[in-house]
Amino acid sequence: MLFSPGWRAPVRQGWVLAVFTLGLVLGGTLSAAVLWLLSGLAAPVPPPARTAAIVAVAALGAARDLGLVRLRLPQNARQIPPEVLADRLRAGALRFGFELGTGVRTYVSATTPYVLALGLLLSRPGSAATLLAGAAFGAGRALSAVLAYLSRSPDRAALVGRRVPVVVKGAALAALTALAWLHLG
Amino acid sequence: MTAAPDAPAAAGRLRRALTDPLPPAAALALLAVAAAARDATVLCWASVGALAGYALSGSV
Repeated sequence: MLFSPGWRAPVRQGWVLAVFTLGLVLGGTLSAAVLWLLSGLAAPVPPPARTAAIVAVAALGAARDLGLVRLRLPQNARQIPPEVLADRLRAGALRFGFELGTGVRTYVSATTPYVLALGLLLSRPGSAATLLAGAAFGAGRALSAVLAYLSRSPDRAALVGRRVPVVVKGAALAALTALAWLHLG
Repeated sequence: MTAAPDAPAAAGRLRRALTDPLPPAAALALLAVAAAARDATVLCWASVGALAGYALSGSV
């Protein structure tokens, strides 16, 4: 845990967190920009078919995170090397955050990010909505680090480990509900 | 005579409650659904984006 208590580095932990968060937001925005560019490929597909596909993808994502279906999804099954943080801590935290924020440089342990990416591709909500969703992805990923930093608890990892399954399932159900309501309501 | 409340322990409990991972997830979920209900497309996608990022909690 990068933001757990017991920090001994010569750089203030808050600074590292700020730079890490900036990297996450930038990485998420970059991935969203790529999605926005690629979303033009979905333009010829009729809107009713795109709507059906978005809801189907969200439903499949929720089913997967609830353990109802088993489905292997593409991911970059590697950890970001720890050497990234070895020498220059602030620059390393920026790079580490950026790589995590793109969502394509390491493991993806939940299905909602896939639902988000495919939903943005198919929905084509416009450049502002797409870029903001990407920045929010980075910010959402940073939120857990911010909470870990603020908690100052040595038991944080155990608590997060207990809560993560609930968060993953709740996020998947909320994404399904919200996207179905937005497109069918 | 009752013992005075243990202020550091109370502060610790409050901090743990305020930094629990579940409430932000619930808030983002509610925001996403409420935004969808109001047809607020940009806010809905932003909320789903934040939820997707937050669902990857625990990696750092």
